[in-house]
Amino acid sequence: MRLWQYIKDNVFVISISMLIMTIIVSFMLIFKTPLELIIIVLFFYFGSWIIALIYGYFRKKFFYDQLAQNLRLLDEKYLIHELIKEPSFLEGKILCQVIYDIAKSMKEKINDYEYKLEDFKEYIELWIHEVKLPLQSLTLMAHNRHQIDSSVMEQIDRIDNYVEQVLYYARSENSENDYMIKEFSLENLIRKIALKNKDAFLLNNITLNVDVSDIKVLSDSKWLEFIINQIISNSLKYHRTDVDSYVAIKASVANDKVVLAIRDNGIGISKSDLGKVFNKSFTGANGRIGVSSTGMGLYIAKKLCDKMGHVITIDSELGEFTEVKIIFEKNDFFAVLK
Amino acid sequence: MKRILIIDDDQSICKELKELLDNSGYEGIILNDFSDVIAKIESINPDLILLDINIPFVNGEMLLHDIRSFSHVPIIMVTSRNNESDEVLSMSYGADDYITKPYNPTILLLHISAVLKRMEVSSDIIKYDDLTILSKKGVIKNESQELILTKNELLVFSFLYTNRGNIVSRDALMTELWNNDEYINDNALSVNISRLRNKLKELGYPNAIETRKGQGYILL
Repeated sequence: MRLWQYIKDNVFVISISMLIMTIIVSFMLIFKTPLELIIIVLFFYFGSWIIALIYGYFRKKFFYDQLAQNLRLLDEKYLIHELIKEPSFLEGKILCQVIYDIAKSMKEKINDYEYKLEDFKEYIELWIHEVKLPLQSLTLMAHNRHQIDSSVMEQIDRIDNYVEQVLYYARSENSENDYMIKEFSLENLIRKIALKNKDAFLLNNITLNVDVSDIKVLSDSKWLEFIINQIISNSLKYHRTDVDSYVAIKASVANDKVVLAIRDNGIGISKSDLGKVFNKSFTGANGRIGVSSTGMGLYIAKKLCDKMGHVITIDSELGEFTEVKIIFEKNDFFAVLK
Repeated sequence: MKRILIIDDDQSICKELKELLDNSGYEGIILNDFSDVIAKIESINPDLILLDINIPFVNGEMLLHDIRSFSHVPIIMVTSRNNESDEVLSMSYGADDYITKPYNPTILLLHISAVLKRMEVSSDIIKYDDLTILSKKGVIKNESQELILTKNELLVFSFLYTNRGNIVSRDALMTELWNNDEYINDNALSVNISRLRNKLKELGYPNAIETRKGQGYILL
């Protein structure tokens, strides 16, 4: 708050008192009051008046400047009421009360949504556990009836994959973190994922090369399984038929970091699309060439990586290759714990 | 015959799972009533338990904990709860394995046989008539000569040997190989089988592995 702003704001009061003073002085002149007395009256009048003005100015300036500054520094501006100290002047008190009431109702609203979201998330988790049971029954039935028509299994796998996407979407969007970091070997994890996608690899005649010899990482194995599975199912989806397709999974240790690279010689991603593949619902040109794509897989993968502190990058050349890398930091804290 | 107890409240899964186990040389037993499970387990005395976490009356993890207080029977947790903390808790309570639904039936069978094998004193010497297979050394021999088996050939032979007299599908063989980090394709499997046949032929068993068209292979 600037002084001239304050004066401008009080211009009406100031002009009125100026006017009245002029009238009083005129009367005093008419009644031939001695000049000394007029000066003394003027002196006291203006003196007290300026003091009152300055006092009022600073009292308000202090309060509003602090309010403005706190607001500027606050990330979640709706929490401003926590930082207000109630001032001594009336306007400030009214403002405080208003802000407090707004914040209170805002908080109630947010709580309401948080509960609803939490409920919904719980329901989604429950629903996913439930829906996996009929999927399991179907898998067993197909196996038992010796009708392991791979196309039926493929469709069951597709459902399962979409179901997992929903589960991890719910987990990645939620503010609380329900993952658990521990050390495990990549070999076991890759084996699980490979077995899961075995039929797709064999059906499409895609070679799988794995070189992750004895490398361990710190992560949540279930989350990481989902992430790698998304990347590999993309590789399987976007393979080329005119070459001997491969998916190569290679882990290496460099500068205290573990780098897991998943490379394929599939159709690749154009340079213009490459920067956007981690965006929500982005399908790009590849999503429009007949392979169904939700544009959610890599988005969720990236979110999960961010939460766990892994770095995920993608590189590609259209018609040549796609390579996704996940970089795991070594954590000293865990080394100490061990 | 190994008896496997299925503790799961989904009727359809129980039925199909029992069929799968019965067809694979085990005896599947379904637990229908979940009250006083411990006493029932004691009276059935199974060789292995497939235990779900979400079962009525009692939580599967608590049940696991209780079973472990009196028995070392192998337990495989089979559940749709797909998160790290459940797995860690189950393993710390003494589960032998943890599989999430939906699982591939062949892989479940592999896990079951692996857990059961761990219980027995496993020998790495396989006897096939007058042939001896030293799996640690990767060698197959009769009295007069010795041939080297590659890892894949050894895996194929051992798997056929464990299922001797039964037809083994290509898919099952493939799953076994992939489960051992040998991510080979269909052609490579055919090559491995014909190489294995040649080696057996050299040792005097030209017809040991028979092809059953459309079904798979059988070790006679």
